[in-house]
Amino acid sequence: MKARVAGLVFSYGGFRLEIGELVFPGSRVTAVVGPNGAGKSTLLKCLAGILAPERGGTFVDGRDLARLGGRERARLIGYVPQEPTYMFNYAVLDFVLTGRAAFIPRFSSPAALDLEAAREALQYVGLADLERRPFFELSSGERRLVLIARTLAQRPSILLLDEPTTFLDPRHETEVMALIRRLAVEKAATVIVTLHALDMALKYADSMVFMKAGVVVAAGPPDHILDEALLRSVYDVDIGIVDVAGRRVLVR
Amino acid sequence: MSGSRDRRTAVIAVLAIVLPILLLVLSLNLGAYRIPPKDVLPILVKAIFSDGGGASPAADVLIRIRLPRLLLALFAGAALAVSGASLQALFRNPLVFEFSLGISYGAAFGAALSLVFLGAKVPAQAAAFVFAVAAVLAVLFVAGRGASQVVTILLSGVIVSALFQALLSLVEFFANPYALQALIFWLMGSLGQATWTDLTISLPVIGVGVAALIGLRWRLNVLSLGEDEARTLGVDVRREKVLVIILAALTTAAATAVTGVISWIGLIVPHLVRMAVGPDNRKVIPLSAAFGASLLLLADDIARSAFAIEVPIGILTSVVGIPFFIVLLKRSGKAWL
Repeated sequence: MKARVAGLVFSYGGFRLEIGELVFPGSRVTAVVGPNGAGKSTLLKCLAGILAPERGGTFVDGRDLARLGGRERARLIGYVPQEPTYMFNYAVLDFVLTGRAAFIPRFSSPAALDLEAAREALQYVGLADLERRPFFELSSGERRLVLIARTLAQRPSILLLDEPTTFLDPRHETEVMALIRRLAVEKAATVIVTLHALDMALKYADSMVFMKAGVVVAAGPPDHILDEALLRSVYDVDIGIVDVAGRRVLVR
Repeated sequence: MSGSRDRRTAVIAVLAIVLPILLLVLSLNLGAYRIPPKDVLPILVKAIFSDGGGASPAADVLIRIRLPRLLLALFAGAALAVSGASLQALFRNPLVFEFSLGISYGAAFGAALSLVFLGAKVPAQAAAFVFAVAAVLAVLFVAGRGASQVVTILLSGVIVSALFQALLSLVEFFANPYALQALIFWLMGSLGQATWTDLTISLPVIGVGVAALIGLRWRLNVLSLGEDEARTLGVDVRREKVLVIILAALTTAAATAVTGVISWIGLIVPHLVRMAVGPDNRKVIPLSAAFGASLLLLADDIARSAFAIEVPIGILTSVVGIPFFIVLLKRSGKAWL
């Protein structure tokens, strides 16, 4: 399912996000990159419906997201937050079950079907064994996977992930990125992920969006758009690109 | 490990059903007027199936004095505990309860107005209810557009509580000694004043409110994750937040109006329940109803029969509740939920 952002404007204090047009192809991973304060997370939150843009909006298969009810939108778009702080230490399965809220009437509780969806999602991220563990007892990497599982239980066509690999060690970082790749391939999801790790973006993303100071500097497949001049203009630091055994590698 | 937790939850669930009934039966036998235990049930049955003409003194004590008091204890306990549990989940703050929304001081001010100035024209219960609801509306109004923000609404609660507290002091200042005495007694909380007339209004309101909050129990799990997250999960956060607040306000206002200020039940019970079964509100909310009811009934039994004179129950719950609150405060921040 293709998502298209058109004429989107959002401002907060002195910050202004302005996106002319941006297309996120279906069944692909799009990495949104750029320095701190570029507006990556803000863009994601506008897409998720957490922030309401002043003008413009997001269209999925021609439908304006702003016109959808919360329930409808949640069935279409899932959002994996960055570093949530929770008050209550729910068991992993109970936590993943909250992903079913869009399918459960206000005065009801999850039924067998919802339980099945939650278990399936945990199975998919490889944490089926942890379903009874309290969330706070998990490692940082496991928590990220549980957050992704919760969004999978929501069964959205479009998945937004806000810096899912921050603070993870290389093994967990690779694990999470490989999972994100599988979501696009196996679940045919439109995956939009903000990243700081450019090497991860280069390896796992089909498409990249470079942002700086609230605007898109370049967008497209990395092979087409990525060069040293672009990196320099976006990050204000020299990053070299070298070929190693047919793969492009970033060096600093 | 998980098996033993399941077993514990099952035991607690059975206890939740048995305990209130057991306490109700025991409490019917408790009191200054001695009624042989074997006579209690026949008297009740007879009273239900006859029109009460020519009732014995024992029947009179049971039906007119004891039964309404015990029912009120059960309902008020459930109301306070369920509201406390719901508000704690909603605001993601384990130290929130009915005091935080201005309900208690709103009710207290209403009762004060009635007892000091209005006399019999407007009963204290009605005035307390009106002002408890007014206090919550004032809190929502002060919070304004920020009503979906936890901090804003809690600060509004503090401000509105302070206002009603000041107004209460003003009424106390102008009160004549007799009215002041009645007011102070009301503020300490008591279940002894309940008549069937009060209960026919209060109990249905409490019943509906508690039932609705129990209906929302799983939704509270979702809301407790925070506003942004609940929104991305498809929840109409603003509307559901207001719904929970209004339900919690109505139930506590209906209880506080007839019992006076009985604090800490809304704080203690949900925490005890979470310590026993974990934070899942599908268990916490219904169990809070059962154990809140039981705890307030037990507290009232102690208040009216453990000492030579009846101790105001509000004092009793505070004496137990405040140390408990301090322990909670010291432990908050750790993963204890």
